[in-house]
Amino acid sequence: MLLVLSEEHKEHLGFLTQVDSAVVGEFGRIAVEFLRKGTNPKIYEGAARKLNVSSDVIQHGVEGLTYLLTEGSKLMISEIDFQDSVLVLGFSEELNKLLLQLYLDNRKEIRSILGELTPKLPSYHSLEWRLDVQLASRSLRQQIKPAVTIKLHLDQNGDQTTKILQTDPATLLHLIQQLEQALGEMKTNHCRRIVRNIK
Amino acid sequence: MRFRFCGDLDCPDWVLAEISTLAKISSVKLKLICGQVLKDLQGEGIDYEKILKLTSDAKFESGDMKATIAVLSFILSSAAKHSVDSDSLSSELQQLGLPKEHAAGLCRSYEEKQSPLQDSLRTRSLRLNRLDSVSWRVDQTLSSSELQQVNEPLVHLKFTVRDRDRGVTEPFAMTVSAEKFRVLLAELRQAHAMMKTLS
Repeated sequence: MLLVLSEEHKEHLGFLTQVDSAVVGEFGRIAVEFLRKGTNPKIYEGAARKLNVSSDVIQHGVEGLTYLLTEGSKLMISEIDFQDSVLVLGFSEELNKLLLQLYLDNRKEIRSILGELTPKLPSYHSLEWRLDVQLASRSLRQQIKPAVTIKLHLDQNGDQTTKILQTDPATLLHLIQQLEQALGEMKTNHCRRIVRNIK
Repeated sequence: MRFRFCGDLDCPDWVLAEISTLAKISSVKLKLICGQVLKDLQGEGIDYEKILKLTSDAKFESGDMKATIAVLSFILSSAAKHSVDSDSLSSELQQLGLPKEHAAGLCRSYEEKQSPLQDSLRTRSLRLNRLDSVSWRVDQTLSSSELQQVNEPLVHLKFTVRDRDRGVTEPFAMTVSAEKFRVLLAELRQAHAMMKTLS
């Protein structure tokens, strides 16, 4: 699968031919660092002064490299495909090899960073429960009404929320039965076939 | 195999696996570590440095100290939860493969601290918001925009409710007229009498 680069992208990356390979290596390192920790515009200023170009050009170059790396890692393209995609840019042999090495070295890490960007639903953290029996109320004395009070602790991106629920034992048994049925689905032939194919 | 300290259920696999780790420490040191774990279960905090020193000559791998603390916490809190006496606990632990002196030491520490542990577990049980304090004030309304001579007593009640999740107290204020207050007081007295017959 080839990466298709837009004209603007090619223009941004064209800056890389004007500098020597040590600088491209440095840009690659900066790009990966930005993916790990976030951008730092001051680095653009410093590099612009050293290379005697405007900081916009530097920024476009680094961002172009970052986009190239993330798109490649996202689609998990093979070495040959990456080389062919970069060939389009008309870089020197040495530059192509450098970019390929940069891609292969950092692919796994970039994929793990991209994996953390998915939206997350609130997930289970812990559960507290309590069994009570209601013996009397203002309107009716001499009752026996058992109830289970449940406090569900949920975790979403580090924020903890709680939900308080109350149920009678019959509903609780039904709930347990439904959940056990859901777990039992994993053992059906249909699910086993799919799991086998994924592995 | 059903165990009383697991609530008449099977013993979890990880507990079985870690019993052999417990056997690696000498029984005297195990009793001291139990003391630390019991302090932690009662909410007084745990001294990891001391436990590290106690396990230093047991040739533990990196995760073993945490595993020891985890399995001891489980055994002690589970035994307190199901009100298991120390002799039954000792025989069940020996059935799981813990050597006799280790089981005896563990159960002696458990027996000393069983009631305070159960008390602290009781306070940690699920409670929804609770009433912290009540303050009141009786006013006499002299007159109002509707009627020139009113001359009625009025009770101001302020309940301070403690929110368990956020740990903050919130005030909740209301005013009650004399008749409504008499009804409220009568109903609460009936509920109080019912509570007294139960305790």
